[in-house]
Amino acid sequence: MDSRVITITSGKGGVGKTTTTANIGTALALQGKRVAVVDSDIGLRNLDAVLGLENRIVYDLVDVVEGQCRLRQALIKDKRLPELHLLPAAQTRDKNAVNSVQMEQLCQQLRAEFDFVVIDSPAGIEQGFRNAIVGADEIIIVANPEMASVRDADRIIGLVEAAGKPEPRLILNRLRSEMVKRGDMMDVADVLEVLGIDLLGIVPEDEMIIVATNKGEPIVYDKRSRAGRSFLNAAQRIMGEEIPLDEVTEVPSLLERLRRFVGFGPALAERRVRS
Amino acid sequence: MLGLAQRWLKGAFVLSHPEKGTDIMGIFSFISGRKKPTPSELAKERLKVVLVQDRIKVNPELLELIKSDLLTAISRRLDIDEQHVEIRMSREDRWDKLQAEVPIKRQKISFEWDPPAHTTAVTGLRGKVTVEVEKDDGVE
Repeated sequence: MDSRVITITSGKGGVGKTTTTANIGTALALQGKRVAVVDSDIGLRNLDAVLGLENRIVYDLVDVVEGQCRLRQALIKDKRLPELHLLPAAQTRDKNAVNSVQMEQLCQQLRAEFDFVVIDSPAGIEQGFRNAIVGADEIIIVANPEMASVRDADRIIGLVEAAGKPEPRLILNRLRSEMVKRGDMMDVADVLEVLGIDLLGIVPEDEMIIVATNKGEPIVYDKRSRAGRSFLNAAQRIMGEEIPLDEVTEVPSLLERLRRFVGFGPALAERRVRS
Repeated sequence: MLGLAQRWLKGAFVLSHPEKGTDIMGIFSFISGRKKPTPSELAKERLKVVLVQDRIKVNPELLELIKSDLLTAISRRLDIDEQHVEIRMSREDRWDKLQAEVPIKRQKISFEWDPPAHTTAVTGLRGKVTVEVEKDDGVE
């Protein structure tokens, strides 16, 4: 069928892979797609907590792969969106508990049930990363506009190409436009020039991400958050919609900021989700 | 003092004309007579260099080996200034390049000519022939 397996990866840790996976997955489900988000970071389970589903885990990815349970038993239905499911990572197992062949088979099983399978890759370039991309049709690289992250992203691009996958697309996360204006941070164009891949989304730095994670509620639900809106836009671009890429780099007008501060008036994201 | 004013003006212009920022920056650095790279420009340049090394795994040792290979090969044919030979990696778009700068000492070219057997011996020359071409350096 035409279901798509998308892996979110970065090389470097802490750039926002799990946050991106949770939000892209949620945003796709908000558009009415059947979505499975898969935590492939075995031993360092986190996606469950970002989605607020940490108390519901019975079985995990390794149980499915080893045949201890059926896929359906391990999939956790989201609290809010019936279309969204989570396949959690094992917490107590070694990161080499799964091999590439098993992972590819798992992806095939998931394809039969869902429109989108979004896999959260572990950091690094070892077996865990290779498992995460083996069954993927598309790769999304998350990077921050700073040297270490962009350098690792470039390394990942090379490995993805070597694995015979199509060229990955970039989500540039945690962009601080005030620093870019001062010349203290690389701009979107700089990172794109260095990496030479297509851009899927730009997500501004947003304190509300931490608040959202604390609540176990992805930021795409927060209609006033710019980061949330960016993730929604990225998800819509994944679905093939043409959405201009310049929206987040613009500083919101005073009126817009005032409106958001007061908290009324439909935000752009809300209208898109409702339609 | 000038630097401060430049910074202030630059900021003001960038705020009002984001797309013209770089042009105006150029004008002011011309006035002040020097251009200090911003941290973002610095990051970009450093990244470009480091990525070239990462991508094709060319370390300084390997570059030295390539350099000595090149020197041996070229100096057999051309008289080169070995002290000023420079070899470096660079990157344009997604292409990595090996760039070599090899200054030639004199316009003296020497090579051996060993015509294959089937060549008609018009000149009557056979066997190894050393040809030396020397240009007059005085003529521009």
